[in-house]
Amino acid sequence: MQLKLFVLSGAALALWLIPLTALDKRIGWHKSVQGLSLCTAIACAVAAGDIARELSEQEEIEAIKTRAITADVVDEIATSAYVSQAQRQKEAETILSDQPERDEIIESLERALALKYSEPSEPEAEPLNQPQDNASPEDEERFTSLKLTKNQAIEVIQKLRSELNQTQTIEKLWECKKGGSEAWKRAYAQFKNLTEEK
Amino acid sequence: MRAMYLANYFVAGCIAFSLLGWIASLHPYAFRAVLCLLVAIAIAWGLSWLLDFSLSKLLKISVADLQAFLISGLAMLLIGLGVFLCS
Repeated sequence: MQLKLFVLSGAALALWLIPLTALDKRIGWHKSVQGLSLCTAIACAVAAGDIARELSEQEEIEAIKTRAITADVVDEIATSAYVSQAQRQKEAETILSDQPERDEIIESLERALALKYSEPSEPEAEPLNQPQDNASPEDEERFTSLKLTKNQAIEVIQKLRSELNQTQTIEKLWECKKGGSEAWKRAYAQFKNLTEEK
Repeated sequence: MRAMYLANYFVAGCIAFSLLGWIASLHPYAFRAVLCLLVAIAIAWGLSWLLDFSLSKLLKISVADLQAFLISGLAMLLIGLGVFLCS
């Protein structure tokens, strides 16, 4: 198409200039040829202009398409980045919101237990988990890292079991990690002992 | 490519004015007719400059485009007739 455009443009210029300069206006048939060549030159120039306009419009359409594709790609990248960022933010918020709730539950349970066993109406209002002089040897046995009595430990375990599973309860109350350590074995044995007795 | 098609239409206009000169050279009556046509074109050209804002609204093109068209029309006339007369 471009070759045709250039040929027509060149032909228009040639048919315009060459007959006017090369032929004699005083000779009849020369004059006729000049008129014919001028008409043909106009036709060639108009045809070349039409072809060039068509190509120009196609170029504009291609440029618009390229811009649209580029905009789509940019939009897709921005959307995926926004979604992944929002997902990460949501996960972080979930983690941050879950952890304090568990800690608050445990703290409130411990506080409730401490208040229950240190009420002033009781005959002997001693600090929590102090060994009693008239207690039997079985009652003196202490459980968990908080040195709770058997009843206290059972009560705390019952309340924690609604929120945590067995391993988490043992880890939280005995402050030891699951594994083959001596502390874990001892904690597990005490936990089993307390849960079977209740 | 936009410049190419504008250039081609410009060349077509120049050749058209050369053709007018050729027609004018055929006979004295044709010369007078072409002269009248050129006078009419000149009057229309001057009026277009005076009424450029209203004409641009009528043709739904910008004033700058209309002025560019008028200037290029004058250039086509000068080049076309100039080429014919100098050859």
